[in-house]
This record gives sequence, structure tokens and C-alpha cells, in this order.
Amino acid sequence: MAEQLLSGIKVVECGNMVSAAYAGKLLADFGADVVKVEEPRGDSARQRGPFPGDTPHVEKSGLFLYLNANKQGVTLNLRAAKGQAVLQSLCAQADILLHNYSPRDMAGLGLDYAKLGQINPGLIMTSISYFGQTGPHRNYNAYDLTASNAGGWACISPGASDYPDLPPLKAFGHQTDFQGGVHAGVATLGAYYHKCITGEGQHIDVAIQECIAAILEMNFMHYTYSGLETSRLGRRSIYPWCMLDCKDGKLFVICVEEDQWKRFADLMGNPEWATLEIFEDRVVRGQNYDALLPFLQEFASEWKVADLYKAGQERRICMAPVNTVVDLLASEHLKAREFFTKISHQVAGSLTYPGAPFKVEDVGYAVRRSAPQLGEHNAEVYARIGLAPAEIDDLRKQGIV
Amino acid sequence: MAQRPLEGIRVTDFTWAWAGPYCTLQMAHMGAEVIRIESERRPCVTRLIPPFADNEPGPNRAGYFNQYSQGKKSLQLDLARPEASEIVKKLISKSDIVVQNFSSGAIDRMGFGYETLKQLKPDIIMISICGYGQTGPERKYMGYGPASVPLAGISSLTGYPGVGPAEIGISYGDPNAGIFGSFAAMAALAYRHRTGKGIHVDLALWEALLVLLPEGIMEYVMNQTQPERDGNRDRWVAPHGCFKCKGDAEKWVSIVCGNDAEWQALCQAMGQPELATDKRFTDAAARKANETALEELITAWTSARDRWEITETLQKVGVAAFPSMSNKDLATSPHLEERGFLVQKEHPEFGKRIHAGIPWQMAGSPCEVQAAAPMRGQHTDYVLAEVLGYSAAEIQKFHTDQVLN
Repeated sequence: MAEQLLSGIKVVECGNMVSAAYAGKLLADFGADVVKVEEPRGDSARQRGPFPGDTPHVEKSGLFLYLNANKQGVTLNLRAAKGQAVLQSLCAQADILLHNYSPRDMAGLGLDYAKLGQINPGLIMTSISYFGQTGPHRNYNAYDLTASNAGGWACISPGASDYPDLPPLKAFGHQTDFQGGVHAGVATLGAYYHKCITGEGQHIDVAIQECIAAILEMNFMHYTYSGLETSRLGRRSIYPWCMLDCKDGKLFVICVEEDQWKRFADLMGNPEWATLEIFEDRVVRGQNYDALLPFLQEFASEWKVADLYKAGQERRICMAPVNTVVDLLASEHLKAREFFTKISHQVAGSLTYPGAPFKVEDVGYAVRRSAPQLGEHNAEVYARIGLAPAEIDDLRKQGIV
Repeated sequence: MAQRPLEGIRVTDFTWAWAGPYCTLQMAHMGAEVIRIESERRPCVTRLIPPFADNEPGPNRAGYFNQYSQGKKSLQLDLARPEASEIVKKLISKSDIVVQNFSSGAIDRMGFGYETLKQLKPDIIMISICGYGQTGPERKYMGYGPASVPLAGISSLTGYPGVGPAEIGISYGDPNAGIFGSFAAMAALAYRHRTGKGIHVDLALWEALLVLLPEGIMEYVMNQTQPERDGNRDRWVAPHGCFKCKGDAEKWVSIVCGNDAEWQALCQAMGQPELATDKRFTDAAARKANETALEELITAWTSARDRWEITETLQKVGVAAFPSMSNKDLATSPHLEERGFLVQKEHPEFGKRIHAGIPWQMAGSPCEVQAAAPMRGQHTDYVLAEVLGYSAAEIQKFHTDQVLN
């Protein structure tokens, strides 16, 4: 098998849905051997689509298939003592244990670092939760929408909104869970480097609320430096910073520096209105955006998105098409970079997936296998930790695997 | 004291704006020595924009810079000078990681491309971040963070029904590229430890966002349709929204019932047990079918109540509820305070301000913000003398010759 960045690192992953699974996916995509431990009924991501034809099927969830490619999968009932014993055997041979069970459920599932670290002092156990392992909110229940609000993101989204009656807005999908997963990946590999040097494992506590509170641009400091509370309402401080309607779709444009605005005015044929005092610098344009927008809109309406995008970017004006998924799949740039990848799965068939988050020559992202079917690798993985076929059969009868 | 995870790792940090600085911030958090390359002539844009401490502008007083450069060091020099270029090369030869987020090709023109770096330090780890990546027909396009959101399709997937594609309040492509860059660097450290080899990472804001959108992309791949923009609603479960609370236009509470048990608990907690048996709401499919009526009923209850009171009442019975936190709410949160997330380090120019800290805690190799963000050039003499071994006379000559401006 080809060498990758994380080849040889052994990972056990437990939990449901996105955050731990995405941390595990990142490790697996770059070469780690990840065993995904599912409850006997399966990861709840299997119940969530998208599904072909909108028909739920445990082996056909697009979310699950994406998150769990490159992993081996086993089933295990962690609520039973015997299941916890099996988990201990898995962890005895692992470098990393990732999970996203809530702090209130951990002890009952055998996710106890005092015990697991005794069995394997080199084990790194990364616990991803919404509010962390300590503090008054640690046992609070949450989902992605909850974390989007708890982390302070929804409060400022969509930004420059004209609709005070419409609520704070979450971004599409499971963004906070993904952020929890990537941040956990960073901390886990930082701790893995420490282990390479010292041989020591440890417990890591990753709080999704904090991962979000850490990425609020300058909003946090608007309060702590200037006493200013930020909001999803209001207007952009600089302009242009907007979406324009072209003939066949929308185009986003932002001019941060004055020379960019001058080149935009030039692209528009240096109309007389562009010399008006009310548009003289980015801040003043921000104050008078409602006067400026109709001019920009009139100009853009004569163009096709792709043409204006190209014309703008060739003049070093930051424009971007407001892409739909079909636009993304057709992008020549993404094709040239071979971003999308095809993965063939025994039940779900051959599908296009998002590929590498970053490129590395030779030893980077690779697809080694499709997502596991429920319990697909029970025999192989449990044999590896020394369970005889009869013992595995016995555990199956007891509903442990 | 326990060793920090990246103790002994040194980073040459060419980054500016947000994506690159967020990448190297994680390394500083874990104990690496991160040395920013700065200059008087071209200060980082985040040193120039508000908010400023006491609303008084100044390159060392900007909240944006000070948040994302916590714990780093600053080496100031004028890269147009050949002597400065030699200093930086010497620093790179003593570094483990180099991070840069200039537009594609710029670092090569500056004389610090990967091939040069490898000659200076054969096992160097180089992280290059830009909007579109180092290859491909659009590689030279400008990719500011705010533009990455519509470019990646997030805008077409996000928004209120009937209002059109939305932005999402932050230049999400930036910190996201930063955190992926950190992941790449950490993976590269593991690889170097095993093989003795370095790598060059080509990271595009665009692609690093696309990997976070499987539900949108695979929906199209499977069914040739794109999910409708549906505000805060979820495709499969209800209730799933932000509900108006007592108070001004900023007071909202998010409420999600992920299963029937949580819905039953919500009905009891609202003091409306009759809803639990109401046929319109018995299971997720029914609640989705009658979601508007469901949301009206919940709003009628929440709008007369305080958002924290609602949160406590609902969390007590296991329902996922939480206020929509403002920046002030976060900076004054007792929970975040107790966890040590709110960090205040003494800054030589203006004292203490609260910053967002480290979103993880390590039990065995504690991570801690080492210091406030550096003033521009604060560590120039330290780096020249302690890290690079220049004599006092040599350093004085660099100053006199205006190499360090």
C-alpha cells in the first residue's frame, strides 16, 4: 500500500453523526487505519440523507458514505460490560481514540481515560462535545443549530440583513460539527507528535462551542476592545460588498482596497456617477450603498455571470459566482485540480464525492476503500484483537456485536 | 512542568489577513515558537482596521491582529533589502514549518518558493494557502474570504426561504483554510518523524470549504436536485429553529427536538401536555408536515419569556435549547470563564483585553496562550541574537542600515 502522511497510525472512533466521524475521516483520508465502532443499530448518520430517490436505506446515506470512506467498521454495544471489555482491547492496540459522546454518557459507555490510559499509557483519547467536559453547561443537549447559536455565529449571520423579524441564521449543513472535527484533528495530531517525542498519551477535551467562538472574525473584539455588540442586522462597513443579478445568475463582488474599486469603475467604463462625492471612498460608499447598488446592478444585468467573473478577475477585482452544486461539479478549475473523486460502494454504487481538502504530492489524500457496511469488518477486526470465531459468535448472540 | 505538545518546533510565519494567521495560531497554542515576518512598509491589514484598544488607532492596538496572533513573536525587516532576505533564509534553515498565504506564485517571486526552502532545510514543511490553490486555470484569481462563501456554494445552499442566497456573517473560508492548514502541518510532523522527509501543502480556501458540504453535493449527485434554502429548518426533524424571546431584536433561543422523546419533553416543559398527543405533531414526519403551525405554537410560548429562563427550563428535561449568543454574551459567559476559554494577557501598550482562547484542553501537555500578540518588531533583537546568533555589533549595523524597518 502506498505510503501516506499518517500511515501506520491506529485509530478507534466511536459516536454518532459528524464531529468524531469527520476527525476520523481526516485521519483515514491521509493514511491512518481507522476502526469505526458503531452501536448495533448503526451510526445515526445512516438515518440521515441525502438518499437516492429520497428513500432511506442504512447503506445509502450520502452523509454516512462520505464521512466514513477509508474506515473499517464494526458494531459493538458499549452499554454492556462485555462490549466495554472489547473496546478496551481495541484501545490497547491503538494510538488514538476519538469519540463524540456527551460527557453525561461517557462513563456508562466505558469511555473513561483513567481506565483506558492505564491499559495503554500511550493512548490519546479525544472527546469532542458541544460544551466541553467541564463548566456549568457541560451536560447540555445540543445539535449543530444549537452550537451555531451557542458559539456566537448565528447571531451575526447572514450579516447586513434588512430583516429584523427573521432570526439569526445557521449556515447550511453541519458546519459547527465539522469545525469540531477539524479542530479535534489538529489537537489530536499535536498530541500525537508529543507522543512521538515522549511516548505519553493523554485525554483531550474539545468543545465545539469554543471552536466557533474562536472563528468570529473581529466580532469578539468589537465588544472587548470597543464595547460594541455586533448583529446580523445593519450594513456593510465598506462597499461594494454584495451580490449582483446578472443575466443568468448571481455574482458576488467585494472591493477592499481603493485600487480595486478604481479598476471596477474602469470595467464599468468610468461612468460619471462613479466620481460623485457620495462614492468617494470605501467607507463613504458603505454609508451610501443604497444609492450605489442600483448603478452596479444596472451594469451587471447586461452580463452573463461567467463573462463578468472573468472580466473582473482579469482586472484583479475580487468577484465570485454564487455557485450552485451543478456549477461546482462543472467547474473547469476544480476539474483541472481533480477535486471531485469517484468512490464505488457495494450497495450504494459508484458516486461522486468531494475529495481532498488540500494537496500533497505523492503522500496525500487517497481513497483506499468505501464506507463500511454495518458490521462489515467484525470478523477481521475482532480476530486482530485475539477473539476466536466462537467468541465473536457468542458476543453476537448476546447482542454485543 | 509538563512539556507542551509542540515544544521545540519553530515556525516561520509569512502570513497576513486571517487564513494564514489562524493556521499558525494553533501552533502557538500548542507551544511552537511562531515567528511572524513583518515590515513597516507593508503592515498586515489586520493591524490597520478597527476595533482598536480604547478606539485609538495604532498598529499594536488592533483587536483583529491581536486575537489571531496571540502567543506569536514578531520579527520586523524590510524584505526589499538583500540583508533582510538573508536573515529570513537563516531563520528558515532553523525552522520546522513555513506558512504563507500570499496569492499563488507570489512567494516564489519573493525568493522563498518550496524548492529554495528545501535547499535551506531539506525536511522543511511548507504550507501554502490561497483562494484557488497553486494550480488550475483560476489559480491567479483573487479569493478573499468573503468571496469564498458564495464561490463554494454555501450561499446558494443557505438562506431564508424566498429571500435569496445568503452570506453567513463571517469570511468562513479563511479560518477554515487556516485550521485545515494546521491539520496538514500536524500530519506532516508525524510524517517527518517517521520518514525524515518534509512536504509542501497546496491548500485552496475553495476546496477546503467544499469538503464540508457533503449533504449538498451528494444530494445533487444522487438525485440531480439541490436542497432548497430553508432558513434554520432541518430536512428531517422538527422543531429545529430560532425562536423570538422577550426583549429586543437580538434576543432569540434555538430549540431542536431531535427525536420524539425530546418533543414529548418539550410539550411537558412548555406546560402544554395536550400537544404531546396532538396528531399534527406525533412523529417527526407529522411535525415536518405541520411545521409552520408548530413554530407558531412554540413562538407563542418563547416570545413572552427570557431566553436564559427558556434554556434552563428546556435543558433540565434534555431539550437542546440555547440562546443566540452575541459577542458580549460570549465575553461575559460564566461557562466559558470557568473553562478558561477567555484569555487576558498583559499587553505593553494598553493592558488587558479579553480574547477567545484555545478551543481544546490537553490533560498531559497543557496548552496555554503564552503571551499577548506581539507589537510589530517586538522580538526582532531576540530572534537575531538568540535564534540566529548574530552579534550585538551585527544587529546594530542592521538597525543603522535600516534593514529592520
